[in-house]
Formats: sequence, structure tokens, C-alpha cells
Amino acid sequence: MFALQGRYAAWLFIAPAMIAVTVFIYLPMVLNVGVSFYDWNVLRNEFSWKGVENYLSTLDNIDFRSAAVNTAIYLAVLVPAQMLIPLVLAFLMLRVRNRFAVRTYRGIYFIPTIVSFSIAGVVWLWMFNPIVGFLNTLLESMGFAGHRWLSDPDMALWCVAAVSFWKGFGLNLILYAAALVNIPREVIEAAELDGAGAWTRARRIEVPMISPTLFFTAVTTVLIVMDEIVGVVDVLTEGGPYNSSSNLVYFLYERAFRQFNFGEAAAVATLIIAIVAFATWLQFRAFERYVHYQ
Amino acid sequence: MSTTSRPRRRGAPGRLVSAGVIHAALLVAAVVTLFPLIWMFTTAFTPNELTFRRNLGLLPSQPTFANFVAAFQIQPVAHWLMNSLIVSVAIAAGKMLVAIPAAFAFAHFRFRFRDWLFAVIVGTMTIPYVVTLIPTYIAVVKLDLYNTLAGVIVPSIAFCGFAIFFLRQSFKIVPTELLEAAVIDGAGPLRALVSIVIPNSLPAIASLTVLSFLSAWNLYLWPHLILNDSEMKTLSIGLKLFATNQEQLQQWGPLMATAVLGLLPALTIFAFAQRYIMDAFVHSGIK
Repeated sequence: MFALQGRYAAWLFIAPAMIAVTVFIYLPMVLNVGVSFYDWNVLRNEFSWKGVENYLSTLDNIDFRSAAVNTAIYLAVLVPAQMLIPLVLAFLMLRVRNRFAVRTYRGIYFIPTIVSFSIAGVVWLWMFNPIVGFLNTLLESMGFAGHRWLSDPDMALWCVAAVSFWKGFGLNLILYAAALVNIPREVIEAAELDGAGAWTRARRIEVPMISPTLFFTAVTTVLIVMDEIVGVVDVLTEGGPYNSSSNLVYFLYERAFRQFNFGEAAAVATLIIAIVAFATWLQFRAFERYVHYQ
Repeated sequence: MSTTSRPRRRGAPGRLVSAGVIHAALLVAAVVTLFPLIWMFTTAFTPNELTFRRNLGLLPSQPTFANFVAAFQIQPVAHWLMNSLIVSVAIAAGKMLVAIPAAFAFAHFRFRFRDWLFAVIVGTMTIPYVVTLIPTYIAVVKLDLYNTLAGVIVPSIAFCGFAIFFLRQSFKIVPTELLEAAVIDGAGPLRALVSIVIPNSLPAIASLTVLSFLSAWNLYLWPHLILNDSEMKTLSIGLKLFATNQEQLQQWGPLMATAVLGLLPALTIFAFAQRYIMDAFVHSGIK
């Protein structure tokens, strides 16, 4: 295509993108690994070789450990929830005949996705307010006891998880709804003729047919849960009380930008990418046999 | 849902009950989804003194704009809105400028290492951005871009992997014959891009521009690190500052008013572009 002159053009066309991702993503990623072997105090501008010590001290740090455990809980709860519940809702929407209703539901479910983390954060801060917030007012008006929500160490993490779910489920829902609509009608009709009920159809045909989308969302949801909860954490709890709702990215943020220990923070970043790479690899393995490409 | 052994036609009487259940479930989910935002609007229009009377009414009894006026007095909200606008427009435009030509090249050209280079670009979608944070932060500080909008904008444009992936998909649909005809008529690659590919992919480009704008409007951690002076902040991080400062002041009304101001632009754009965005997802072929 586009013969000779095209060849030059192609290189020129991709050059800005290649330069941008190299300079701002791949290069920093490599440099990050480099920084993680140094002691770098930016305030005092001291810079010295430390080897793996940053990693050892990080792994030994009790705040890091609780952040790691919390991250595991966030992943274990939010990844299945952000895949299963939107999938169920997408199936329900598929059965609704009224197109206006479908569009309205879809639009509503998507709205929290376009709300920024800080808006979501302050809105829920207000909902959770223990004295005058809506949730406690409602609970107490019905005769239940109110909660301390965000300032309760046993509850803060679940509040952050709930808000993150609220903010995140819409995107997966849209993708599932789109994938389900794209299944060729003949396939569904053939199954109906064979007497397959709704449940069998969903399990044997529709879910396998959208398995590429499920795989895609599994990978992106892990990334989103790892990466982006930090906004919710920062606005709602700042990781507290007693680090009970902190996660790895928030720990990194505090290490780097509150305590200015860039070396250790870089070590945390390297650990994060190792975890994400491992999770992605696991997902590739798990879906390998299962994903069905048309 | 249906336990019948024989398939039924959609809308047949036997479905009526479960159709009601389905609507009820979807409706409950919709109410739970929307409620916190409705409550935000309620509080924003309620006089601040009244926000402390524990109230469950959805409509403010004495609706007022006072919170909006107060918000602009308490915090530099006008600056925040302006900064957000500049940052979001610049990032969206920058991403499009970088992504459109690249997506075109990956969709319609054959060149060495093409698939490999495409993998390098798409691979950025699987990298958590936090691993770039520290080196990029140091670079921004050393280049004297700390506390400037440019420091926020420039590195953010690089996160265009999704845009390129997505646009390539829709550029591919543009028939090769159209492009070949243009080339025979003497059009160069740039002309072919500008006069054939872009006009034929406007919905995809529009929806991606909107998505880029929205994600830039909602950026949190990066501007939080780079923008320091309260007047330099974007709305997204200004809200955090506001929330931290207001805890002693108890200004829930003005805080919610500011949140409304931050949400409205995103909501308006989404309302207008919803159709395109949803269609784009349907046709994106994300697999």
C-alpha cells in the first residue's frame, strides 16, 4: 500500500507516538529501576549507591506490609465484583426490549465512570459523614445504629472498596453490553431452537462468545484497581485510620512525596510492576484455554 | 431466570413476571448509582446552615445559589476551572495529534517492524503509570516545569496507547479502494489521511477526543504532585484541598457546589457524545 513514498510517511507518522511512549513511559520505567538501587534524598540532594537495601527495608516495613495485604484484599474483592456484577446487569439489560430504557440504564450506569476520583471522593465523604451524613441519618431514622465509617479501622477499607466499585463498574458494563449485542443472532436462535434455556444459553454460548472481552476487562480491571484507587484513598481516608485503608500506590506516594525517600519509593514501584506483570501472566495462562476468538 | 424447558418468544406472556423482576433489579441499581450524585446536587443548593439539620429530603426546602457564590470566595475555584479546562483541552488535542497519524500508519501501511512497534505502543496499556512517576517527577522539577500546567500536560500525552489501538481499529474499516483512488489522483499520504481517513472516521475520533478530555479532566495523582500553589491547581485536586481545609470550617454546601461545577462540564459533554461513545464501544472490537 502507498508504495515507496508511503514507507517514509509511515515512519514519520508513528514517530511522535514512538518518541512519546519511549521518553515518558519506557525510559522512566527503566530509570525507576535504577533509582531503586540508590539512596536519594531529594530535599538534601544526597545520592548514594544502596544496592538491594531499599528492597529489603521496604519488605521489612510494617506499613508496607499492611499496604500489601490491603492491596491483595482490594484485588480479591474488586476484580471479581467489577466483572461479575456488571456481567449480570448486562445480561439483564439484554432482556429489556424497550430501547429507550436500555439506553437510559446504560447512560446512568456509566455516569460514575466519568465522575473524577476527587468528586467521587468528596461526594462520598459527605455521604459517610458520621454526624450529619446521609447514610447515618437514614440508618438512625430507621432505628439502626450509625457507623463511624471512614474513621473506623475495620470499615475504612470496605468504604474505599465500595466507592471504587461504584466508580468503576460502569466501564466494564458498557463493554459487556456491547459484546453481548455483537453476538450474531443466528447463534442465539440456533441455541433457542435446540431448546436451550436462558441459563444454558448464557453459560454455554454467550459467556464463551464474549470471553475475549472478559479477558480484556480482567487485565484492565487489575490495573485500575492497582493504580487508580489511590485517588479515592487520598480523598476519603489518606490511607487511615492506622493505615487500614492504604494500598501499595498510596504507600509509594507517601514514601516519595511526603517523606521524600525516592529510592525506597522507586523500589515499591518496581515491586508493583512485578506484581502486575505476574497477575497479567496468570490471566493469560488462565484464559489461554478458555478464550474463544471468533 | 426462566426454568421452562421450551424456548419462549421474547415478550410472550410467560415472560411478564420475570420482565418485571428484571426492571426492578435494573431500577434499583440505577437509583443506587445515581443517588450520591443527586444528594450532591441537593446539598449544593441547600443553604449551608441547613446542611447540618439531619435531613433526608431530596429537594432543598429553601433552594439557593449562595453556596456557589461562597465557593468562589473561599477558594480560587475560577482558577481551578480554568486550569482544568486548559489541561484537558491540551491533553486531548495532544493525544489526538500524536495518535491519529500513528493509528493511520498502523492501519494502512506496510513497513518493517510494524507489528512489533504496534506491540510496543499497545503494551503501554498494561504498564501501571506509577512506575513512571518518580523519574518523570524528577525530570519535570529539573526542567523547571514544577508547578506549571505544561508539567502536567506534556507527560500525560504519552499515555495514548489506548487511543492508537482504538483508532487503528476504526481506520481499518475505511476501504482501501478509497485510499488507492486518492493515491491515483495524486494525493500523498498526508492528503489521504486528512481528506479520506479522518472524514470517514469522525464518530470514532470524536468519541476518543471526548474520552481523552474526560480522563484528563479527572486526572488526580499526577497534577497533585506537580501543581503546588492553590491557584495553580486543577479542579480535581483543588477539591481535595477544599475538602481538607473545610473539615474545620464545615462548608459542605460550598464544597458540594464546587463538586457540581466540576461534574457539570463532564456530564454535559457526555450527554452530547453519549451516542458516539457507546457506538464506539460497540464497534471497538475490544477483544
